[in-house]
Amino acid sequence: MSSLMGAAALMVQSDDAAAATEWAEHFQKNYRLMTDAEKAEARARLERRYSSEYGKKVAVDTTEAQPGVLMGYALNIRKCIGCRRCVHACVEENNQSRGTRPGEKIEWIQVLRMERGEFSKDKMNHGYPEGLGIQVGGNAYTPAGQVLEGQYHYNPEAVPEKDATYMPIACMQCEKPPCVKVCPVRTTYREADGPVVIDYNWCIGCKMCMNACPYWARRFNLTKPVLPKEEMNPVTHYLGNRPRMRGVVEKCHWCLQRTRHDRYPACVEVCPVGARKFGNLLDPESEVSKILERKNVFRLKAELNTFPKFFYFYD
Amino acid sequence: MKKLAIPTMILAFCCGMMTSALAQDSKAAAAQAPAAQPPQETVCFESRKGASEVTKRDLKPGWPNVKCSPKTGAALWYGDPYDGTVPMGKMPGLEKIPEGHAVIKPRTEKLALMPMCGVSCHNGVGPQFSPPTLPKGKKPVPLPTMEAMVPDLKDLQHGRGRIWCMDCHHTTKRNMLVDHFGDPVSFDQPQLLCGKCHGDKLRDWRDGIHGKRIGNFTSTGKKRWFTCTECHNPHNVQDGARNRGFVQLQPEASPQLPRGMKDASHEKLHPIAH
Repeated sequence: MSSLMGAAALMVQSDDAAAATEWAEHFQKNYRLMTDAEKAEARARLERRYSSEYGKKVAVDTTEAQPGVLMGYALNIRKCIGCRRCVHACVEENNQSRGTRPGEKIEWIQVLRMERGEFSKDKMNHGYPEGLGIQVGGNAYTPAGQVLEGQYHYNPEAVPEKDATYMPIACMQCEKPPCVKVCPVRTTYREADGPVVIDYNWCIGCKMCMNACPYWARRFNLTKPVLPKEEMNPVTHYLGNRPRMRGVVEKCHWCLQRTRHDRYPACVEVCPVGARKFGNLLDPESEVSKILERKNVFRLKAELNTFPKFFYFYD
Repeated sequence: MKKLAIPTMILAFCCGMMTSALAQDSKAAAAQAPAAQPPQETVCFESRKGASEVTKRDLKPGWPNVKCSPKTGAALWYGDPYDGTVPMGKMPGLEKIPEGHAVIKPRTEKLALMPMCGVSCHNGVGPQFSPPTLPKGKKPVPLPTMEAMVPDLKDLQHGRGRIWCMDCHHTTKRNMLVDHFGDPVSFDQPQLLCGKCHGDKLRDWRDGIHGKRIGNFTSTGKKRWFTCTECHNPHNVQDGARNRGFVQLQPEASPQLPRGMKDASHEKLHPIAH
């Protein structure tokens, strides 16, 4: 035991930031159980590690949820043109793995392409996908809105296509998140201001949350994340976009490093058609509250009683 | 003799190597120089291609004002949402917003014809040229000079033929737009003009439902507002090439295919037994 302690002491004092921090990281508590001093220690440790790893000054923010804020999101489904700028803005902001080999490219937002059409008798057996015999939109015998894996890999010359509607999906930040219920180590939880977050250090990579999520929002780091130094975003949050390790689950957290400091998430800022809206649900003047008040709104898979804070609306 | 000759040969050989190596170095340097010489300017567009271009530059080392997509040339990320903005000015209905918390990016400096409009032809003096530069009445007449300068005008679709230039542009101050009372409105505040007819959209825009704002998300926070013409081309609102009311854009790269899936239509071609 004493030799182990000695080794630990040696490693903590070593010049190699990664070696020095890894030891301490193994023994740190679940983020929710940490005292403020431990949080500050963990933060300093990570800043040192990331700064040496990525060759620039990296800030790891630990700002808590602000009182009086409940974040909400709304998306105008009629306006989305399927250009995928939000997908790539998210990658720019949130330090996802961006390799080319299988499993190395992680994107949190998926833009689903939905075929347009209407119900009619003569089309009864000519649905999409071909041969399945379901109508667009589904019918009494087949569930509506069947989405195939290939449906978000569309790649036309130009969007929007005439016969398509696009539906971006990401983490819905449920009020009753199934992923939180199943997590065996309780590393994923709902923050007081809304978003469901993950303490990556406590994630054991069991992927139960990925199975539980009805919205396919969670991604797994199957390989060591590929994150070039020059592309790394140095403004990070402990529960948000700090670089992840291999074998942990990650997902959208509504850009906590931005929204905790009153800035719009990255996907909202790049949407060229202004389909994405973000605001404080507790503020009646916020744009999301106005949308809930004035527009036709639905939540995805509302029948599952997950109560998402992500609303789809149309004019 | 022999003893002398060998070192000499070695020396000569070395010199030969050295010079060739040096020559290569200088060649390489020469090859690198022109590549590094022109400051590589990355320009990307925000919302409307050709009308909302922004040039990438570093606000501080390693922190650009904007990141551009190498594939489509679209702006993908903002380092500073307020870069190059000015206060929006007075806007009815937005009095609750604290002073200076509503900013816009001026479009005036992006409009190529703008500096000429107010002085070269339409100086507000009246018909002193031949033919006269100011229309005599409200009745639409073809303006060949203007059509040649702004190609969109040949096929003006806005209002489906019920409105013409002078319904939006000021008669004498041609570098201004016009409001309900005939007073000039800046090109940076098109919402004051567009809201004349599109009142429902103006209401939604004011509340942040229509259009786009970036910056702080709280309702009193500082935001950059995108004005009407940053996203819509007012001359060409019903473009035939549009789909579902939008000008088509090139999409960004599609995600990685799941392992084992050869192409995106795999499931269509090999449907699940049902």
